Amino acid sequence: MNETSGCPVSHTDYTVERPLFQTYELLNAEREQGPFLINDSGRRPFWMITEYGHVLEALQMPDVFSNEVISALTPEHTVDLLPQYLDPPEHTAMRRVLNRWFAPAVVRRLEPLVLSRCVELIEELRPRGGCDLVNDFAIRFPTDLFLATLNLPLSDGNAFLHHVEIVFKGFAGRELDQVATSTEWIRDYFDRAIAEREHAPRDTQVDFISRLLVSELDGAPIPRDDIITICYTAMLAGLDTTRSALGFIFHHLAGDTELRHRLTASPELWPRAVEEFIRLYPLVFMDGRLVTRDIDFHGLHLHKGDIVWLGLASANHDPKKFADPRSFDIGREDLNHHLAFGAGPHRCMGMHLARHEMIIALTEWHKRIPDYELATADQLYERGAQLSIDRLPLRWEV
Amino acid sequence: MGAVLSVDESRCTGHGRCYSAAPKLLSDDDEGFVTLRGHSMEIAGDQLADAEEAVAACPERAITLRRDG
Repeated sequence: MNETSGCPVSHTDYTVERPLFQTYELLNAEREQGPFLINDSGRRPFWMITEYGHVLEALQMPDVFSNEVISALTPEHTVDLLPQYLDPPEHTAMRRVLNRWFAPAVVRRLEPLVLSRCVELIEELRPRGGCDLVNDFAIRFPTDLFLATLNLPLSDGNAFLHHVEIVFKGFAGRELDQVATSTEWIRDYFDRAIAEREHAPRDTQVDFISRLLVSELDGAPIPRDDIITICYTAMLAGLDTTRSALGFIFHHLAGDTELRHRLTASPELWPRAVEEFIRLYPLVFMDGRLVTRDIDFHGLHLHKGDIVWLGLASANHDPKKFADPRSFDIGREDLNHHLAFGAGPHRCMGMHLARHEMIIALTEWHKRIPDYELATADQLYERGAQLSIDRLPLRWEV
Repeated sequence: MGAVLSVDESRCTGHGRCYSAAPKLLSDDDEGFVTLRGHSMEIAGDQLADAEEAVAACPERAITLRRDG
């Protein structure tokens, strides 16, 4: 990286915890400085691509922007992830095996379980007159659904959570020694689950691991280590994101009584509302990529080996794409164009499950607890690297 | 006047926004892709509005509606 093309320089360290919403403020201010910036906050500098049109285009160019790097903040692999670290055609083959487990058809099959578990959790909280939405609800619900989706025992949820939290600190480059221990715990768990199924195979129509054990990639079985990595990745991808999204959504709704009443009265609006919330509050605020060859990308001279930051959150707030981008508007025509789930071959595999979980959670919650407010005047914080509200105390009348 | 709706196989990655936006017109397969992926279909006059919804819903710009005449 020996040319800077006169780009503005960003020194912002996006791995650090900040007061709630400050990350979006910084990202938006940087996009206003220009479509491309060079960021020197970490061990390796990276190019920040900030505008919607460029970000979408780059996501659709996997031959130039490789997934050998998936985070501009931690370009070295702190944990193995599959299929994230693959490029087409290997990636395409693995996604073909995995997609059907996360397709809308499967989501529909799980609906009765999702609904009953959601209602159970809400009914447990309702008489209390308050809760920490993030830790008492928003993480428990997706954890159970993740386990259900993979046909694993729901009773294993609590043990998982502890280790998942630690691994996420590792994404921000922290507590790396503990990350290794927790990663090992999680991988051992899946290793045992695989051993059980090798010993006594289960129905490959409903049991994820059993299906992977009989699936083939290019005529060969999927290596056992890769099956472990796939399960581990699905868990990391599914638990934290849904928890975080619900945190941001409930924070918004707690502060907007009129909107809350409108949605409670017209629950058919929840799907559009969820989509707009996802646009407004993207949690995975960037995708990292490794440049595979020298290229002039809209005037930015990139060299083989450079790292780029594809600004998903910045794109979602780009006024060239979304009118009045910082406001919540379920009537916007291009509602579905947001990049919160990414785009291109690596678009989020769990997106259908995530949407469904959130729509059900919000619908059922507001049927039972339509009015609530923030129960603290303290400053709230968001984790860096991948946004998440640390806690969200709510209270309501019982 | 007729119209043809097509889904570009190389661009479609299975976001599912098209069949969610136009459920009467489009449906999903076992992998979550629209069944029209890599194919085209004739659009009748009373399906035009749904077809336009589907085109507008795609984040990948994979769907096109070509009008003849």
